[in-house]
Amino acid sequence: MDSYSSPPVGGASPSPEVLMEQVKTQLAQAYAEEFIETVRVKCFDKCITKPGSSLGGSESSCISRCFDRYIEATGIISRSLFTQR
Amino acid sequence: MDPNIANNPELLQFLAQEKERAMVNEMVAKMTSVCWDKCITSAPGSKFSSSESSCLTHCAQRYMDMSMILMKRFQQQ
Repeated sequence: MDSYSSPPVGGASPSPEVLMEQVKTQLAQAYAEEFIETVRVKCFDKCITKPGSSLGGSESSCISRCFDRYIEATGIISRSLFTQR
Repeated sequence: MDPNIANNPELLQFLAQEKERAMVNEMVAKMTSVCWDKCITSAPGSKFSSSESSCLTHCAQRYMDMSMILMKRFQQQ
């Protein structure tokens, strides 16, 4: 799956442009996975207070709201960091 | 173009930029996590209350203030 750990066909190394694209893609993927994992933990904590035998309707809507709020919180935090006095 | 990273200034600059971007991303993620725990005390609603959103804003700024203070103290040790 990792396209630059196997030797390329023909023995030529990937061009710098290809390398840069691969790095950007892999970084974006890593950021997304880390973000999802964080949201998973936070929203489970806030929304599933007493795990039942199935996911209730209120729990589902809480999770949905929690996801939106966490994205919003990330935006608020990054904006307040980059508009410093 | 030289694909050897050490000889390629464009690649070096790219890597430096991505490293900085990663550090910023890390800081925002950490701060959001900490400030979420501090500010969102009840189950999330369909929007933030004004106290929740000002708490988040203040939290990020105070976290940065604190970081500066800690760094200065650390340098004085």
